[in-house]
Amino acid sequence: MNDSLSIPHLILNASLVVQLVMLLLIVGSIASWAVIFQRGFVLRRARKAHRTFEDRFWSGVDLNELYRETPAEQEVHGAEHLFRAGFREFNRLLPKTRSSQAILDGVQRAMRVAWSREEERLNLHLTFLATVASASPYIGLFGTVWGIMGSFMGLSMAQQATLSTVAPWIAEALIATAMGLFAAIPAVIFYNRLSAQASRLLGQYEDFAEEFHSILHRNLQGRDERDAA
Amino acid sequence: MARPKNRVGYGLPVILAIVLHVGVLAITLLRWPTSDPEPTSSAIVKATLVRTETATDKAQRAQEAQASAAEAKKQQKADQAEQAARKAEAEKQQQAEAVARKKAEADKQREAELQALKQAREQAKEAARRRAEEAARAARQKAEAEKQRQAEEAARKKAEAEKQRQAEEAARKKAEAEKQRQAEEAARKKAEAEKQRQAEEAARKKAEAEAQAKRAAEAARQASEQALAQSIAGEEQAIANARQASEAANGFKNLVKRAVEQAWIIPSSAGNQQRAVVRITLLPTGELVDASIRESSGNAAFDRSVLQAVERAAPFREMQSLPTSAQRQFREFNLDFNPEDVR
Repeated sequence: MNDSLSIPHLILNASLVVQLVMLLLIVGSIASWAVIFQRGFVLRRARKAHRTFEDRFWSGVDLNELYRETPAEQEVHGAEHLFRAGFREFNRLLPKTRSSQAILDGVQRAMRVAWSREEERLNLHLTFLATVASASPYIGLFGTVWGIMGSFMGLSMAQQATLSTVAPWIAEALIATAMGLFAAIPAVIFYNRLSAQASRLLGQYEDFAEEFHSILHRNLQGRDERDAA
Repeated sequence: MARPKNRVGYGLPVILAIVLHVGVLAITLLRWPTSDPEPTSSAIVKATLVRTETATDKAQRAQEAQASAAEAKKQQKADQAEQAARKAEAEKQQQAEAVARKKAEADKQREAELQALKQAREQAKEAARRRAEEAARAARQKAEAEKQRQAEEAARKKAEAEKQRQAEEAARKKAEAEKQRQAEEAARKKAEAEKQRQAEEAARKKAEAEAQAKRAAEAARQASEQALAQSIAGEEQAIANARQASEAANGFKNLVKRAVEQAWIIPSSAGNQQRAVVRITLLPTGELVDASIRESSGNAAFDRSVLQAVERAAPFREMQSLPTSAQRQFREFNLDFNPEDVR
């Protein structure tokens, strides 16, 4: 009797629909954990890279030197991406126009584009976590409802309506809900945590973009005065 | 600026996620077996007890029967010697002797009997002498009885023995004994006591010889009788054992049945023809392990009421007072339910 109530036994003896629901939930859980790990690594690395780059940037190094340090074809991320996009646009526009406003507009535009690319990169797949977090309890509940439905159908056939005839069915059905929650709870927690980290990083990028913009603005201001003189 | 590898692949995270799930699964799997053994072990115990009972019981019974047979043999031997030496009365005793003699070897027995006869003869001589002098009637009667037995044994097949047996019968009824006593008294008065004694001795010797011959002839028959009687004795013992066990068993079964009937609420839908057989499994303490329908009545309510009755009547404490062999028998048994019994 007790043997038939062990969790693996219940899972193996469940009806096909409940088994499919369980399979779906297991796959969802594995995928969400994979996303959690991957995002965790990505965000940690991005945070570290941002700190290194800011230290480098504010160390008083010449911006042209900083720009030339990394080859153009290498892909860069984070604040460095913003910096390179803005500085490239600045260098391109500088010989073409005399209006400092036009140059600053172009730089700002380029940096905004780079920033939204970074946002997309950091938030990649986080929506999947949100989906798992919100959907898997319902999926598990569906499995439970289906299983209990089956138990009552079976009950109508049985001669005696004792608890022991219903119990295995209900236990089996409840496993689906448990698995749904098992998948959903980490997804919810880590979705909140990871998205908070990502938005904090994006805020830092934004701050950097503003600071860089003001530096360029200062340089242009100096050039205007030189031109005027 | 030397940057670390920017792109984070999905390979490692997927492996980590799978490892995590396998770990969780392993924990759930590992925790369950620890709680499992209790129920399974009880089930195993139950099964083995029921199965081994018959084999051990048989062996035990056989051993008991052998032991008791051996004891009976010993006792019989001892009784034989005593009886042959001292008591020589009645056909009853002889029958008992015949039953008792079964075991003993024919030669040994014959020797013992010869010795006994010699002793008896001497005793008789002394008694007769005493009688002649003091007229010890009791002693003489004893001697006479011995003689009578011998005579009777001989006379059973031979014509001469018949006379003696008649005398013995008379003595047994005490009518002839008195007669003889009177005759002896008369003889004593006439001083013919010695003559009579001689005659008696002669007759006794003759009877002894005859008895010996007869015994030799009977030796073979006794050998065959012995085997028969032994088997009879064994059978009797077995029958007695079986009867005792079955009495106890019936008593307990009736008890259980009465208790269950009292607890039985017969559903109104039950007809008189319906009948259900319930298989009951009990612990040695009388507690109910399991009750299941063996033969359904076809009426679900009826079957359920029967099971509920068994459960309500459940701990059958009388089980503890049963002998062990009967207890084994009642580890599992069937109960037959029929509303007619109760209504």
